[in-house]
Amino acid sequence: MATRLPTALPRRPTTSTLSTFNTLAPQTTSSNIIPTLQQTQTRNARLIKRPKRPYAFTQVIQLSDGSTFTMRTASPHSLVKSTKDTRNHVMWNPSEKSLKNIEVDEAGKLAAFRERYGRGWDAQAPKPELGAEGAEDAEAMASKKGGDKKDAKAVETSFEDKFNSTYDPLGDLISQYAVGAPDDKGAKVAKPKKK
Amino acid sequence: MASSLRGSSAAAALLRRRPNICASCRTTQSLRPYSVAAEAQATAEAHHLKPTQSEPHVPFTVPRTAEYRLRSSIILSRAPLLTRPLTPFEDAFFFYQKRLNERLTTEFRHSMFFKKDTAADLDWRIKFAERGGLVAKELGRYYAKGRNAWNDELLVGSTLSDTNRIRETLLKDAESRVTEDGEKAKPDEIVPAEKPQPRITESDQKNDVRKLDRKLDQTLYLAVKKASGEWQFPTDDMSTEENLHQAAQRILDAAAGPNMNTWIVGRVPVAHHVVQPVFKEDTSLATKGEKTFFLKGRIMAGQADLKENTLGYRDFKWLTKDELKELFPEPYFKSVRNMMADR
Repeated sequence: MATRLPTALPRRPTTSTLSTFNTLAPQTTSSNIIPTLQQTQTRNARLIKRPKRPYAFTQVIQLSDGSTFTMRTASPHSLVKSTKDTRNHVMWNPSEKSLKNIEVDEAGKLAAFRERYGRGWDAQAPKPELGAEGAEDAEAMASKKGGDKKDAKAVETSFEDKFNSTYDPLGDLISQYAVGAPDDKGAKVAKPKKK
Repeated sequence: MASSLRGSSAAAALLRRRPNICASCRTTQSLRPYSVAAEAQATAEAHHLKPTQSEPHVPFTVPRTAEYRLRSSIILSRAPLLTRPLTPFEDAFFFYQKRLNERLTTEFRHSMFFKKDTAADLDWRIKFAERGGLVAKELGRYYAKGRNAWNDELLVGSTLSDTNRIRETLLKDAESRVTEDGEKAKPDEIVPAEKPQPRITESDQKNDVRKLDRKLDQTLYLAVKKASGEWQFPTDDMSTEENLHQAAQRILDAAAGPNMNTWIVGRVPVAHHVVQPVFKEDTSLATKGEKTFFLKGRIMAGQADLKENTLGYRDFKWLTKDELKELFPEPYFKSVRNMMADR
């Protein structure tokens, strides 16, 4: 028999140590039975394998505004600089004008394009909602100018012209084409009408 | 027999003496007043009685709303921008956890991250050799698989777990040790990594209480100075046509100008402060009381500007909770302290 640790020794005094009973026999708790069985508890330490985890480094993360924090990561690089994050994104900085998608035309390419083809290819600006406030504003403007009802009407119509009329984005291009067209073509078109 | 009768009659007399007091007062107040005068004064103080009144109002009698002015106030705060610095104990704890982790994780295999004979591979090898064959960068000379792996605890006074030291070690490690030609860089060719800004700003050093980039790891609150020299949050009387939150917005615009991007967090007041009215001998009002309700606001951008304020404020400061405690009158601070975060 192998040497036992003190904890593995039987706690209850046993009368017989000669018996060769199976230690796996069901244990009884009744005190009436004379303890003839050699009751041994086995409390061997078992090796529990730890789950395998990748090696973790400590890493410094630098956000786009320069603020830093450290975190544990599997990446062996000790510094990561972020180029786009919550600190320079429009969604988290709604009041920051510089982040908004404003047209940058340093080389003048967009201006050159417009000179040649007109503004027909521009993305359509969203219509401002002209509710009760807008009407009030218009009236206020009119009253400031002269106080006449005519003026108020004129202002209203101008607002309508601007926003309510269906604006054709390609109309500008077509009209320019028509203006620049040679005269003889126009004459040819005009002739059948006269007849 | 006689003595017990005497006792019961005495108790009955005690109970009979205060017939108009509500049930909760009767149970909470002591049944054995030693002095009638002292008791009356205590009741008067507890219920804010007028001079001629001897007993508090029964709840359903005359309302006293006319004796108070209703006021709205805005507590405008700037959220902390930085996390708090760690305590030395927390530093030491995290450092120990990292060393413990060294013993328990799988080994780092650099061939999985660096292709052989590349600049990155050479860079790793140079730094790895300089650390004495240690993978971890900031854990000191601790060999987790070695004979002395058990000796993982720091001794008292060791600066190894200091946050600043760890950050500097990592930034030192971040600089490239390989030239563009793929050779080992000479000491004068190494470009140091850019250091992050310090936690303490210029405004901190000057203690410029009007700047918003001060005390980055604590909440700042906007306090204004009245013409009388007393400090408070921006406050004004309410008209009958507006709600608390509307009044708070109006007060903020009137006091600190429109050059701020603010957000009023909710419509429910977060604190209230009551100043009791003062009465003359004939129970007429000497001064009206005040009931102030505070709403919570946040500032995202901009700065307060008192130049064109219509509420008569002379000065403003952005202060932390601790600084407000010294500036505000004590009862005022007591009313608002619980809505302020510790940090």
